[in-house]
Amino acid sequence: MVEANAQNSRDKVGAVMVVGAGIGGMQAALDLANAGFHVTLVEETTAIGGRMAQLDKTFPTNDCSMCTISPKLIEVDKHLNIDVVTNADVIGLEGEAGNFRVKVRKRPRFVNLEKCNACGDCLEKCPVALPSEFDQGMMARKAIFKRYPQAIPAAVAISKAGRAPCRAACPAAVHSQGYVALIRQRRYKEAAALVRRDLPLPSVCGRVCYHPCEDQCERGKLDQPVAICALKRFVGDWALQHDSQPEPFPLTHQEKVAVVGSGPAGLACANELIRRGYPVTVFEAAQKAGGMLRYGIPAYRLPDRVLDQDLDYLRKLGIRIQTGKPAASIADLKSQGFQAVFVSTGAPRGAPLGIPGEESEGVLDAIRFLRGVNSGAMARIEGSVAVIGGGNSAIDAARAAVRLGASQVKVVYRRSRAEMPAHDWEIEEAEAEGVGFEFLAAPIRIERQNGGVKRLVCLRMTLGEPDQSGRPKPVPVEGSDFDILVNLVIPAIGQSADLGGLGEVVQTTPRGWISSDAITLATNVPGVFAGGDVVTGPASVVDAFAAGKRAAESIDRYLRGVDLREGRDLASPTAPGPGAEDVKPQPRATPKTLGPARRRASFDEIVSSLTEEQAVAEAQRCLNCGICSECLQCVIACTAGAILHDMLPEEITVEVGAVLLAPGYEPFDPLLRGEYGYGRYKNVVTSLEFERILSASGPYQGHVRRPSDLAEPKRVAWIQCVGSRDPQLGNDYCSSVCCMYAVKEAIMAVDHVPGLEATIFYNDIRAYGKGFEAYYEGAKKNYGVRFKRGIISSVKERQQTRNLALAYVSESGQVAEEEFDLVVLSVGLRPSASTAQLAKTVGVELDRFGFCRTDALAPSRTSKEGIYVAGTFAAPMDIPETVMAASGAAATAAEALHEARGTRVREKTFPPERDVAGEEPRVGVFVCRCGTNIARVVGVSDVVDYARSLPYVAHVEENLYTCSTDTQRKIVETIQQYNLNRVVVASCTPRTHEPLFQETLREAGLNRHLFEMANIRDQCSWVHFSHPREATFKAKDLVRMAVARAATLRPFPDIRLEVDQRAIVLGAGVAGMTAALGLADQGFEVALVEREPEPGGIARQIRHTLQGADVQAFLADLVARVKEHPQVRLYTGATLEDFSGHVGKFKAKLRHNSRLLEVGGGAVIVATGGAAYNPTEYAYGQSAAILTQLELEQKLADPHFARGLKQVAMIQCVGSREEGHPWCSRVCCQEAIKNALAIKRANPAAGVFVLFRDIRTYGFDEIEYERAREAGVVFIRFEPEKKPEVTVDGGLRVRVIDDVLDRPVELRPDLLVLSAGIRPHPEAEAVSQALKVPLNADGFFLEAHMKLRPLDFGSEGIFLAGLAHAPKTIAESISQAKGAAARAATVLSKPFLDRSGVISEVDSTKCAACLTCVRLCPYDVPVITEEGVAFIEPASCQGCGVCAAACPRKAIVTRHYRDEQIAAKVDVLFGDAAFEAAGAAALQSGGET
Amino acid sequence: MEVSYYPGCSLHGMAAEYDESIRSVCRSLDVALAELADWNCCGASSAHFLDDDLAVGLAARNLLIAEREGRELLIPCAACFQRLKHADKQLRKEAGRWTAEPYQGKARLLHVNEFFDRPELIQGVRRKVKRPLAGLAGVAYYGCLSQRPPKVTDSRQPENPTSMDDLLRAIGMEVRPWSYKTDCCGGSLAVARTDLVRKLSGDLFEAAVEAGAQCVVTDCPLCQSNLDSRQAEIEAERSKRYGLPVFYVTELMALAFGEDGADRWWKRHFVDPRPLLRSKGLA
Repeated sequence: MVEANAQNSRDKVGAVMVVGAGIGGMQAALDLANAGFHVTLVEETTAIGGRMAQLDKTFPTNDCSMCTISPKLIEVDKHLNIDVVTNADVIGLEGEAGNFRVKVRKRPRFVNLEKCNACGDCLEKCPVALPSEFDQGMMARKAIFKRYPQAIPAAVAISKAGRAPCRAACPAAVHSQGYVALIRQRRYKEAAALVRRDLPLPSVCGRVCYHPCEDQCERGKLDQPVAICALKRFVGDWALQHDSQPEPFPLTHQEKVAVVGSGPAGLACANELIRRGYPVTVFEAAQKAGGMLRYGIPAYRLPDRVLDQDLDYLRKLGIRIQTGKPAASIADLKSQGFQAVFVSTGAPRGAPLGIPGEESEGVLDAIRFLRGVNSGAMARIEGSVAVIGGGNSAIDAARAAVRLGASQVKVVYRRSRAEMPAHDWEIEEAEAEGVGFEFLAAPIRIERQNGGVKRLVCLRMTLGEPDQSGRPKPVPVEGSDFDILVNLVIPAIGQSADLGGLGEVVQTTPRGWISSDAITLATNVPGVFAGGDVVTGPASVVDAFAAGKRAAESIDRYLRGVDLREGRDLASPTAPGPGAEDVKPQPRATPKTLGPARRRASFDEIVSSLTEEQAVAEAQRCLNCGICSECLQCVIACTAGAILHDMLPEEITVEVGAVLLAPGYEPFDPLLRGEYGYGRYKNVVTSLEFERILSASGPYQGHVRRPSDLAEPKRVAWIQCVGSRDPQLGNDYCSSVCCMYAVKEAIMAVDHVPGLEATIFYNDIRAYGKGFEAYYEGAKKNYGVRFKRGIISSVKERQQTRNLALAYVSESGQVAEEEFDLVVLSVGLRPSASTAQLAKTVGVELDRFGFCRTDALAPSRTSKEGIYVAGTFAAPMDIPETVMAASGAAATAAEALHEARGTRVREKTFPPERDVAGEEPRVGVFVCRCGTNIARVVGVSDVVDYARSLPYVAHVEENLYTCSTDTQRKIVETIQQYNLNRVVVASCTPRTHEPLFQETLREAGLNRHLFEMANIRDQCSWVHFSHPREATFKAKDLVRMAVARAATLRPFPDIRLEVDQRAIVLGAGVAGMTAALGLADQGFEVALVEREPEPGGIARQIRHTLQGADVQAFLADLVARVKEHPQVRLYTGATLEDFSGHVGKFKAKLRHNSRLLEVGGGAVIVATGGAAYNPTEYAYGQSAAILTQLELEQKLADPHFARGLKQVAMIQCVGSREEGHPWCSRVCCQEAIKNALAIKRANPAAGVFVLFRDIRTYGFDEIEYERAREAGVVFIRFEPEKKPEVTVDGGLRVRVIDDVLDRPVELRPDLLVLSAGIRPHPEAEAVSQALKVPLNADGFFLEAHMKLRPLDFGSEGIFLAGLAHAPKTIAESISQAKGAAARAATVLSKPFLDRSGVISEVDSTKCAACLTCVRLCPYDVPVITEEGVAFIEPASCQGCGVCAAACPRKAIVTRHYRDEQIAAKVDVLFGDAAFEAAGAAALQSGGET
Repeated sequence: MEVSYYPGCSLHGMAAEYDESIRSVCRSLDVALAELADWNCCGASSAHFLDDDLAVGLAARNLLIAEREGRELLIPCAACFQRLKHADKQLRKEAGRWTAEPYQGKARLLHVNEFFDRPELIQGVRRKVKRPLAGLAGVAYYGCLSQRPPKVTDSRQPENPTSMDDLLRAIGMEVRPWSYKTDCCGGSLAVARTDLVRKLSGDLFEAAVEAGAQCVVTDCPLCQSNLDSRQAEIEAERSKRYGLPVFYVTELMALAFGEDGADRWWKRHFVDPRPLLRSKGLA
C-alpha cells in the first residue's frame, strides 16, 4: 500500500470528508473516491446505509430497498480510498476551503472492528433486550447488536449508557447489573461466575454487605430499590449447591505471592491473583480462615457453614490457605521465595474504655466477646449486660448477648439515636429482640463486687456543636451520674491493628495503622502492599474486598514491572437513570425472616435466601440503567477476542480539502399531533413503522398485521401531511416524498393482503416525479386504492375492537365517520436532531426549519466555502433526487479541489503474477468455522478430512475465521509454501467475500480468477441448522463441486482500457452548460454540442424562479463562462451525424457550419433537453387573450402589463396527466404561482383564479403556494372528467365546476393562461438511436436504474441530465448536471480503467451471424462486422453470459464460465467416478456430527 | 397552603355540590380556600358574545383582585377559567386598555384537575384515601374549555389531558381509556339548540359505554349539567338506556376520603348515582 505524497498541490488537500453515510453520503463518497480523492465517511450510527436500508420497497419500481442498497454498502466497505468511521460525530473544524482540519469524536463501540467478524455468537448470550432503532422500536435487539443483518461495517457494537449506578456505588465495582440480568434469564451459573470474578465470597457478601448499590438504585426513585444484595446471595447460595467443583486456575506466572491475613481483604487479593495465574498463599494466625468474617460476625447473620463453603471453593481454585500459624516477618516471607506480600491483618483488637474498673473480670471488649461467642467458648450469659458504643459491633454484641440468655441487655451510647453509626435495620432488629438503649450517656467508672462487675456508673450527656466528624459533640452534664446494674460490660468503642511480626519494617501512622498509598496500596517497602482494616481502621466487608482487588492489580503490575499508577481509576461515567414513567410499580421481594421470638432463642440465621421465583421476579424489576449490563457474557462468547468493555472515546483529526454534509433526516414526531392518538392507540403507526411491518425482516416477518392483536388488517387508512404543510407547528413546507411512499405502501399492503381496502386521505397528491403519475393512477386502477381529499382532524379509538374511526367530509358534503383496522400516519421529514450542532460546528447557516441554507441556483453550496450539502439536509427529497444531489455535490467539491486530485489516494501494488501454465492443478482448500456459525451445524473437521481425499487437493486447512486479517496473511504464506495454484474457500457468500479472497490470491502472486468459493454458511449451516448430519453431507458436496471447478479454472488477465480524458456534452441548455463547466472546472476538455444557433435552451424564456432568483442574469453568466472557458469548445448549430465507441473512447461526428468534424471523449453526457407543449385545447390560438405561462412570463417583463389586468384565469395540467401524455410536468404549478404572485404584486386588485387538479408545490415551494393564497389568489379545483370550458365568442368565458361547492362557476377573465406541460425533445428519438441508449414509453431518456443510477445509462460511460431525463426545475437541472459531471469524472479522472476480464468472446470461425446475440444482449453490445460475423466489444461487455448461453452454434464463450467449468460442478454432483469413489470412502469414514 | 378561590356563579348555584365537594376536599388536604374578595362575573356567556372589551374588563377586575391577594387562583368552572385565562393573556399584552393599575400576571390561574394533580398535592390525595373506589369504572371527561385552545389555556396536552385520569387513579378508580376526553358536549347551546346537545352528548354516552364506563367524571359545571340533565331525554330519543351518573371529580375524591356529606350531593343529580355506588359498596 502506498500513500501518495501531498506536497505539490498548491496546499489544497485531495481528500474530502463526507458526513452521513446514508444513500446520499455513500454516493458522494463513491463518486469522489472513484474520481481520485480520498474520502473519510463519517457516520453517526454504528452502520452505514441510513434510512433507505430501513425501507421495504421503493417507488415507482417496487424494487426491494435492501437488495438495491446492499451492493452499494459493500462497494463502500471495500473501497480502498474510502475510510468509514462509524459511531462518530464531527466536533470541530479549522482551516479554510481547500485545507480543513476536521476533528471527529469516535464514540466507543466496545468492539474491536479489526477483530470482529460479525459471526453473531455474542448476540444470543446477551441478556439485555432493547427496542431496535432500525425497526423503529417494533422489535427487540440485544445490548450487543448489529444494526441490521446486512450492516456495514460487518461488526457488532455495544450500547452503553455508562456504568450502572449500582456498580458505580460498589467499592469493589461488582458487575451487579450483570448478574441481575443473568438471574432474570435464570442463568445462575453464569451469574455466579460473574460474582465470583469480582468477589471471593459471594454467599458471605450476599449476607453481610451493607449494599451501597441499593442506595443508588434508580428503581428506588420509583418504588423501592432492587434487592441487589439478596440476589447476589441467591446466586451465591445456588452456586454452593450446584457449582462447587471448579477446576483450579492454571498457574501462568512463576512469582509466588504471600497474603498475610485471611479476612475479606486478603481473600479478595488471593482470588484476583489466582485468576491471573499467580501462585498465592494466604497465612492466617487463627485456627480457621476468614478473619473478622468468622470471629466478628455472629452466626445469625453469617453461619459458619456458608463461610466454610465459600472458602472451600477458593481452595479449589488453587489458593493455599495456611491457618494456625502467624506469618513471620517480611524478610522471612522473602526468604521463602515470596516476591510480593499483601498485608491484610485487620483490626482485631478492641479499644479500651479508659475508665476506672475496666480491668475487672466481667469486662470484655466486643471483639473478644464475639470471638468467644463464635468459637463456642462463650455459650451462656447470666445476668444483665451493658454494651458501650453505637456501631455495628455494639449491636452485634448486644444481639449475641440476648441469644446467650442475658436477663437484660442495654446499649449505652453517648449521642442520640440519630447519630448511631450502626445501620438502621440492625438497630430496629435489635430493638425487636429486646435490646434496650441508653442514649446520651457515657460510662465514667465500673464498680466491682466479688471480683465481678456490679454497676456501671454513667454521666448524662447533651449534644453540643458539631465536632470533626460532623456529628454533634456530646457534652457531659454536670452532676448527672446514674447507675446501671450489670454483670457484664462489653465496650465496643473502637478497634486497633495487630501487625504481628510485620510491624518492624512497614511504616505506620501515629494511631498504629499501616501507611499505604491510597491508589496503589504500596507501603514503604517495595513489593509489600497493605490494605483493609489494617490500613483504614474498621470498615465494611465490601471495602475490604475492594482493597484486596486493588492490591492484586498493584502486585500484578509490580511483578510484571509495569507502572503501578498509570491509567488506574479511569472508570466510565455513571449512567443516568433511564426514567421510569411507563414502569408499573411493583414491590421489592422480601425474603423470609425469623420472628423476634425465634431469634432471641437461637443463633439460627434470621434471613433466608430468596426463592428462585422471587429472585427471577426481583431481577425483572431492574431498569437496566447502564443498558449493557456488563455481564461479560459476550467476552466469553467471542472467540475472536474482539470485545473491549473498557474502550474509551477517541478523537481523530482528519485533513481534508472539502466537507460534504449529508446527515439526512428524521421522521416528524407524531406525538406533536396529539389528535391522531399516536402513542395512545396501538393501531396508529407511522409510515416508517409500516415500512418495517411490510419488511420481511420486520416484526411480523413481512406479514401485514396490526400491533394490537396481530390480526391481518382489512381496512387501512393513510393520513397524509402529518407534520408537513403545517404552519401551526412551523413546518409549512411539503415533505415531498410522503404522497408517493403512501401510494407505494398502499400498493404493497394490498399486494400482501388480497382484498385489503386501502384509503389515502390527502390534500393534494404530489406525484410529480418521473413515472410517479402513472404509478399513482396504477394504484387506483390496479389495486383499488381509494384516494379521499381532506384533512382528518381526529382519530377515535373504539375501545372494544381497537379499530379507529376517522371522520371526513364525504362527496355528498356530509360528515361521515368510517372505521379502519389500522391507521398509518404519513409523517414528514425533518432535519435530524444532531444536524443543528453539526451546522454550528462546521459553521454553515440553517434556514428557519433547520435545513441547510443553499443558493437557489447552486443547490449544493452552503453558506461556507468548501462545505457542500446533499440530500435531505438541504430540503426534503426522495432517493433519486438525493443520489443526483450527492453526485452534484461531489462534482462541486471536485471542481474546488481538482488540482489536488490523486494526491491523497492509496494504491495497492501486487507482486507479479506467477505463470501457472502447464502445472497440474494444486488446490488449496480453506474451510471456515465462522466462529460457531458454521461449526455448530456442520462437522467442519469432517469436511476438512474429506476435502483432503479429493483429487488435485494439495493442502487443506480449517480456520476459525477465514476472512480475518491474520488468516489472510496465513493464506498468502500457505499458497507460497505449498506452491498452490488454485484456491477454494468454503465459507460464506461470494457476494460479500469473493473480492477479499481474490485480493489475497493476488498478494500471493496468483491470478485472481484461480479462485472458487463454496457457500457452506448461508446456503448450508444457516438454512439446515436443525439437520446437522445432512448439512455436513451437503457441505462436502459443495466443497467437492468447488474443487472440481477450481481444477478447470484458467488464469486470464483483466482488462485495462485507455481513457480519452475528454468529454462530449450533447445539448447546451442550462443542464448541458452546467455539466460542461463542471467537467471543465475539474480540468477536463469538453466538446459542447448544441443544435440551435444560440446556447440556453428553454431557460431563455424564463425570467425568474419561483423564489425570485434572476434566471436571465444567471444564464448570461453561464453562456459567457462557457464561451470563455479554455477547456470548453462550444459547437452551436451543430448536429450529430454519427456516434461510435465505448466507455473511455467515444467518437461523435458533427455537422457544423456545413462541415463534418469529429470530436472524441471518454464519457458522454446527454443533456438534449425537452420541449414546451404547444396547446391545442382550451381555444388556444383563437384569441390573443389566451396565452401559455411562458408567454405570460415574457409579457410580465413589462410592468404596465399586469396593471392593466382585471381578472386572470389560469388552467393547470394542460397537456399533462392526460391519456397519451400521462406524466406530470412538475414545474407548471410553480410557474402558475410565480406568475400569479407577480400579477398580484403589480396589481393587487386583479383577480387571479387558478383552476387546478392538485397543486404540486413540493418542498419549500409550498410556502409560495401559501403566500399566493394569502395574496388573494383563488384556487378552484376541478375533476379531470369535468374540465373547464372555454369560449371566445362574445368575449372570453371560462366555466368550471367548483369541486367544493359542486356548482358551476363562470369567469370572464381578460386573460386566460394555460399551464402547458413539458414534452420530450423532438430530436430525442434520433439521439437515442445514434447513441444506442433507450427512451421510456413517454419519450424521455431512460436511466440505468430509477433509484440508484438516475444519472447513468445502462451503457457505460454515457450519462444523463436535465429535461432530457424528465420535467424538472432549473435548480434540479443544475444539480443533476453537476451530478452527471461527477459521474463522468469517475471515468475521466484516470488515464485508464480497470475492468473485469470476465467477458464474452466470439469464435468467428463458428459464428453464423444468426443475430441471436445481437437481439438478446441487454446492453446492445454485439454487432455484425463487415466480415459478417458477430463481434463483442470487450470494453463494453458486462460479462452477463446471456449471449453465450443462447448462441446456437456455441460460438460464444464467457470467460470463467466456460461450459466445461460449469459441467465440472454438475458432473461431480451427479457422479464422477473418481470423485464418487472419494466421496463414498469419506461417507464410510463417518459423517456423523 | 392557601389559595384564592373563584367559585363563579355556577358554583354558587346549580353546581353547589361541586363547590361543597371542593371545599371539603381542600379541608382534608390542608388547603385553605380564601374566596376572592368581592369577585364579579367572569364575562362568560353573554358578555363575551356581545362585547369583547366588556368581557375582558369583567375578568380583569377579578384578576387584579387576585394579584393583590398574592396567591394562586383556583377556578373550578371551565368557562370562568377560560375567560380569566383569556383576559390574563390580553392584559399581559396591553393592560392599559382595561385598567390604570399595572398588571404583572403574578397570580397563577389553576383549574381543578391541574391544581390537585401537582406532585405535592397528589401525594396527599393518595395518603388521604380511606375508601379506595375499587371496582368503579369510569371515563374522565374534560370537555373543551379548560383545555383548548392551548394558547389560551396553556394546556400541555390539549389533545390528551391526563390530570383527571391521574387523580381518579389516585383514589383507586378504574379509569377506562377513551378517545372523547375533550369532545364537545354541546356546551352553551344547551338552551338555544338542544337538538345539537342531544346529538353531541348522546355520542359521548355511546363512547363511554363502549369504553366500559359505569359513570362519567368531569370538572366542568356546564358539561356536568348537559350530560346529567339531558341524559333521560337522550335515552328516550335513542331508545337506549345508558344510566351513567355524571360526577364532579371532587365529589368522588371526597367519597374516597370518607368525608361526611357526600351522600347529600347524590340526590341533586338527575341520574341517581346511589344504585351504582351501592353496588360497589360505596354508599
